[in-house]
Amino acid sequence: MGMNVMSNIVYPVAGLLGLYGFVSLASLLWEGIDRKLVARMQRRVGPPLIQPFYDFLKLLSKETIVPNTANYMFRAAPVLALATAIALLAYTPMGFSPILASKGDVIVFIYLLALISFFKIVGAISSGSPYAKIGAAREATIMVSREPAMMLAIFAIMWRLGKLGVTKPFSLGIFYRHNIWEIGTPMSFVGAIILLYVFAVWLASEIEVGFFNIPDAEEEIAEGLLVEYSGRYLALLKLTKALKAYIAASLVVAIFFPWGIASYCNLTGLSAGIVNLLFHTLKVFVLLFVVDSVFRTVTGRLKITQAVDFLWKNVFLASLVGSLLIAMEVIM
Amino acid sequence: MTKVEYWVKMPFGPIHPGLEEPEKFILTLDGERIVDVDVKLGYNLRGIQWIALRRNYVQIMYLAERMCGICSFSHNHTYTRAVEEAAEIEVPERAEYIRVIVGELERIHSHLLNLGVLAHDIGYDTVLHLTWLAREKVMDTLEAVAGNRVNYSMVTIGGVRRDIDKKKRRIILDMIKYYKGVFPQIEEVFLHDPTIEARFRDTAVISRRVAIEQGAVGPTGRGSGIRDDARWSERLGVYPDLGIKPVMPQDVTGERPRGDVFDRMAVRIGELWQSLELIEHALDGMPDGKIKVFSKDNILVAKLRIMVDGEGVGRYEAPRGELIHYVRGKKGSDKPLRWKPREPTFPNLFAVAEGVKGDQVADFVVAVASIDPCLSCTDRVAIVEDGRKRILTERDLLKASIKKTREINPEVKGDPSPLGVTCSR
Repeated sequence: MGMNVMSNIVYPVAGLLGLYGFVSLASLLWEGIDRKLVARMQRRVGPPLIQPFYDFLKLLSKETIVPNTANYMFRAAPVLALATAIALLAYTPMGFSPILASKGDVIVFIYLLALISFFKIVGAISSGSPYAKIGAAREATIMVSREPAMMLAIFAIMWRLGKLGVTKPFSLGIFYRHNIWEIGTPMSFVGAIILLYVFAVWLASEIEVGFFNIPDAEEEIAEGLLVEYSGRYLALLKLTKALKAYIAASLVVAIFFPWGIASYCNLTGLSAGIVNLLFHTLKVFVLLFVVDSVFRTVTGRLKITQAVDFLWKNVFLASLVGSLLIAMEVIM
Repeated sequence: MTKVEYWVKMPFGPIHPGLEEPEKFILTLDGERIVDVDVKLGYNLRGIQWIALRRNYVQIMYLAERMCGICSFSHNHTYTRAVEEAAEIEVPERAEYIRVIVGELERIHSHLLNLGVLAHDIGYDTVLHLTWLAREKVMDTLEAVAGNRVNYSMVTIGGVRRDIDKKKRRIILDMIKYYKGVFPQIEEVFLHDPTIEARFRDTAVISRRVAIEQGAVGPTGRGSGIRDDARWSERLGVYPDLGIKPVMPQDVTGERPRGDVFDRMAVRIGELWQSLELIEHALDGMPDGKIKVFSKDNILVAKLRIMVDGEGVGRYEAPRGELIHYVRGKKGSDKPLRWKPREPTFPNLFAVAEGVKGDQVADFVVAVASIDPCLSCTDRVAIVEDGRKRILTERDLLKASIKKTREINPEVKGDPSPLGVTCSR
């Protein structure tokens, strides 16, 4: 009984808290690196690397203003969004199988990821600001346009990997047993490349940069969803955003670049986990460099109609083609 | 069954991150679609004309220069032209050439600024930073030529204050060489970048008819296909000798003008090249000679007291469009009886408010930026209440502000009365 409590409750909770601490630091650090890199690409000096930490601490100490028109969901939404992001960490593959890996955890993962956006929308609508409402409408529109392509692709990949012989095909841990490049046929290789493109665009639209910086458009609707938030609530939302970027990038890294280095160093147990986590973080940073920093340096924002068009007519189609290609020889 | 429309009225401004200056629009929205735009002016009123009536002709030059931070030369120049017309003063030819050079330098800096703002408004910050980096060169040149980055004080009534000598000429030629390398890059990104094309093409279309109805001027009018440029149509100064002609969108894009944001931007890019050319020609063709009629300002003040009699109108193509200054004076007084500037932003703002109807909210800020609005120039006092006109003085405005502050925060401490000597009341 004692052992069960230890392995079922204490270890996962300790692991989750440890991950939460680490990912908070890593994701805020990434924001600092990103801002510096983008600044250098724009020929600016840029802020210091730990500027996001300063911002976070400063926002925590500032007065929090709640508009008269806001209702209680305005206050609850940032807390719920952050709580969802923390819960999501337990289902995120980060160089090893998720802490709470189970039979169908991919569905929980997608659900919780969408729930963060949902809470942001609820909070924005509750603020009573017309700008926030436009932002919320845009966020909802873009959310329903970006998810189908990703969901189609991820289920196709998992189903295909399941055919290679695993017991729980729809668990995110599958990527650390078989990866998409192992399928081996030329057709599946092409399909994997196409799906990499799909996931890169999905990631960009998930973290809302470049083309997809539409719900938070600063110049158009004064940061949309965040317009009425200040002080502690804004700090929580900023942290949530950083966590979400890390988590969403983790999914893409796990699907396409799952390799760890611990086995090469002959490490096992906790130390292997830590080494893999650090290596995974490095891969996340490299992926975010391409999808976040470079992408937002070389593009501007689209109109919402253009973005929806792009996500359906280009990305969803690519997802369909890519999924068919990797599933081809099993179907036929 | 009648169709129910859920229209929402949303204030856009006076304080908004997409607007550079306080200006207010009430947008009527149907979802993201803009149904109607109501323009509210007057948030940047400083009572310039009221102040001017307590200044003499020379002092107004400084005031006119400070109406706006970007087209400061244009205001000063146009005002000067108006006074010169009223006083019938012949300006030396060399001074006219120097006016052309400084005016075109200002146009380059203003257009680069606007291009950067346009890019920023679609979230394309890389282009903003690189365009403004290129703008630094012309700012440095202006500083070297005039001694100041913003308020150049180059023009005076009857000529210019400073000559362009060999050293300054070399600096300007250096700048031209630099821009011949940089402008092709700017042209490339603005005319051929897919994001910019997607956002600017067919956005906020001002048809030729609307442009004429609303009296659109400058790049806004030319973008809609109106062939007009005050430097060309007025045969202003030495501009005809330098080969001025209006830049139309088809000269830059090779397509028929559509009157959208892209065309207005293309006109600005064409004008960047034209300005470089004009500066080159002006430097080559500049004759020797005097640069001003009156050697000292006190002589100028004394002369104008007897010379100005009647009215004068100055017209000049500012970077934003045709700028008009009207001056009326009376013999024996060193102050004008009336001084009225008309800013190009005023007609353009209403033209674009008409043009943006039917577009999306996302287009609005781009549309406003595309006319390069300058509200500090535009705002004039006009208070009409119940059909009666009432003029607010500085004292009334101060009283109203104190009242509002006390309303917001009754515990405010400190003496609100102004410190030191301000304008005579």
